[in-house]
Amino acid sequence: MPKLQRRDYYDTARDMNWAFSYVSEDEVFPEELSKSFGIHGEQWWGWDEPYKLTYREYVHNQAGKDDGIYSIRSTIARSNLYDNLDAGWKSAIKAHYGAIPVPEYFASIGEARMARFGRAAAWRNMATFGTLDECRHGQAQIYFPYCLLAKDPQFDWAHKAMHTNEWGVIAARSLFDDMFTANDAVSTAIQLTFTFETGFTNLQFLGMASDALHVGDIEFGALISSIQTDEARHSQQGEPTLKIMINNGRKAEAQKMVDQMFWRSWKLFALLTGISMDYYTPLESRTMSFKEFMQDWICRQFMDQFKDLGMNVPWYWEEHFLPELDWVHHAYHMGVWFWRPTVWWNPDAGVSPAERDWLEQKYPGWTDRFGKLWDVIGDNVRTGQIEKTYPATLPIVCNCCHIPICSPSIGKAPRITTHNGRKLNFCCEVCEWVWKSQPERYDTHLSIVDRFLAGHIQPPTLEGALQYMGITPDVAGNDAQAYVWNGASRLAAE
Amino acid sequence: MTAMTAKPAARKQKKTWSLWTERRLPSEYEAVTYKFHSHFRRAPAPFELSENWPVNQFYLRNREGSKLKLDDWEGYRDPLTYTYRRYVTDQKDREVYCDNLIDEFERQDSYRKLPAPWLDFLGQAYLPVRFPGHAMQMSAAYVAQMAPSAFVTNTFYFQMGNEMRRVQRQAYVAKALALDTGRPELADGDTARAIWTQAPHWQGLRELIEKQLIAYDWGEAFVSRNLVLRPIFDHIFNREIAELARANDDDLLALLHDDFRSYDEAYAVETTKALVSYATGKVPEHAALLRDWVAKWMPLGERAARGLSEAMSAAPGADNARAILERTMTAQARLIAECGL
Repeated sequence: MPKLQRRDYYDTARDMNWAFSYVSEDEVFPEELSKSFGIHGEQWWGWDEPYKLTYREYVHNQAGKDDGIYSIRSTIARSNLYDNLDAGWKSAIKAHYGAIPVPEYFASIGEARMARFGRAAAWRNMATFGTLDECRHGQAQIYFPYCLLAKDPQFDWAHKAMHTNEWGVIAARSLFDDMFTANDAVSTAIQLTFTFETGFTNLQFLGMASDALHVGDIEFGALISSIQTDEARHSQQGEPTLKIMINNGRKAEAQKMVDQMFWRSWKLFALLTGISMDYYTPLESRTMSFKEFMQDWICRQFMDQFKDLGMNVPWYWEEHFLPELDWVHHAYHMGVWFWRPTVWWNPDAGVSPAERDWLEQKYPGWTDRFGKLWDVIGDNVRTGQIEKTYPATLPIVCNCCHIPICSPSIGKAPRITTHNGRKLNFCCEVCEWVWKSQPERYDTHLSIVDRFLAGHIQPPTLEGALQYMGITPDVAGNDAQAYVWNGASRLAAE
Repeated sequence: MTAMTAKPAARKQKKTWSLWTERRLPSEYEAVTYKFHSHFRRAPAPFELSENWPVNQFYLRNREGSKLKLDDWEGYRDPLTYTYRRYVTDQKDREVYCDNLIDEFERQDSYRKLPAPWLDFLGQAYLPVRFPGHAMQMSAAYVAQMAPSAFVTNTFYFQMGNEMRRVQRQAYVAKALALDTGRPELADGDTARAIWTQAPHWQGLRELIEKQLIAYDWGEAFVSRNLVLRPIFDHIFNREIAELARANDDDLLALLHDDFRSYDEAYAVETTKALVSYATGKVPEHAALLRDWVAKWMPLGERAARGLSEAMSAAPGADNARAILERTMTAQARLIAECGL
């Protein structure tokens, strides 16, 4: 082994900053790709990453990790593991594969933006690893569903989804483009690496991995827990960036960026992870409820770290965020199930008698709020009125989170407002605040409903909308358990 | 709506992505790279935000709007067909080799045996190279994020990683030399920075590097980096430096750069030739466009090469600057010729 340890030469390998003289700093770091917040030049050079790593260590570690996950894949390919998985769980991983692998590859572009436009060499080095990591996450996570294509055509959406205008894809793309693919380097460090990767990816990659192992899906569990080991490292670009902002009097700006992106992340994770954990994961395999994961990992661990850095909890915490933990993903779940032909997986109603008991225990009041509505759906299925369990129109969609507007109680109207003469719909006060606090990001963007009303979707019917969304009959979602949760026969469903 | 839920009775199961259009099945490399840039030429704007959002406008201007355009970038292939997994596996082997080299030389106490004039030379003409080397890494990150398909992007991700690899070995050598020869200035950041930003022989390269960083049109960024800057930079800092090192009994440095040249530089050359060949094969007029961009950057390239050649000529036993310059420009011209330009 070479005699010098990493610590002996690390500083020499990251001190490559200099003041440009043939071009200006603003030309090398244009505001649109690297927002300075009025902090310039050498003020950034002290950027100090908590997690230190060299290239030689990187390739050594990463080659070993990839050996591990790909050998698990090839072992499992020879087994019938997938065939024996619960139908609801299969839906959870299909939803994940459509929403995550290609956006992770998009994140490599966000990381590459920091590798080029980050304002310190040490930061750019960390982002170089981050770029390579996200390339890995795109490729590994798409290879696994690729191998499952012969089992089920819905896995095609791991690759196809981001090419479509399916409503959930628009919601995901809107979040991810805002956060990293089309964000500047400094904001990306605060919003992607600090806000999102330090908090939310734990939920998707450790929470879901934990459930996967209980379900017996060793393949998915190994894949996403291996990915999380990279996330844990490159997410640490956020903290040093935040420290430089705070030390240069830009705490309020940083706080605002965190508040905006925390909320946007919450909405999508309630949709993706909330439903998967509390309805699609088989009851006997649920390690914790979604709310418990959120309370433990976001409300406690992440917020402790946040407050240690001198930041405040977002302004909407008590009034909006905590109350939503009790209802929003349940409402999303019902909406997704109802609009099931518009998604690329088979929603699992997850409301058998035992599951209802669990939901009531984890979310007191669930029966009154949601169970009664499921009773109506169940009656319709049992009495052969299946058509009543399908939608005839498009829902109203929020112009910020792009998720169909749900409310904590029936009959509560969406927030309708105007901006420069344009009518906008928001699901809640916080989404309206996120949008209006930075209209330059959103003002000419059309939601799927705006597009429908503007005549972009032809014919202007639900079938036309399905075609616009790229949904084909072979992937259109149906009830994952063929309605047996309801005690109804398959015949009733057909 | 119920009609939507009826599945075809005998569903023909797909074995590959529905977006894949060729009759043959894709390789694993293709299956995990094909059509990942769903934002390229997406209407009305690449990203799911306001069309006027500056990053959307930046991409429309510098990627979709580049003169280097053709119908289908998804047909380009990396000649080495690298996936991430294969890249890290191969580079792990290269790094083990470098570790072993260093270990072997350190056992022989090699740094202490180096002649003083050679150390003087390294301090002035070689060790500050980590500054422009890092800028090469930045530049690769730029081309990568702007390229129109993931097949192109990934080759630049890997070139970016390779630049970092070289810089970190150079930083290692700087520190080891500083410690073993009792010359702390060899690893001192401020000293190297001052030489890089002020010593006359570096200024041509610095001007080229700084201006190349702001070549924002993706096609021009590719050409200025991979057809002008990189061949000049790599000729001096892989080949010339290795020859000089060998002549000055610094076999470790020579062997390290032999490795960078044989693998990382070869990767840059092969992927560049393939990309030029793909672009000019699809649109023959692109040859003129690429030549024009090369011509635009050549004066800065030559000035950089002249300064670096003068710096190299100061090494004990070196050729004169003119001969080094000629070899450097010949190497760059050879790449252009091999690209069919």
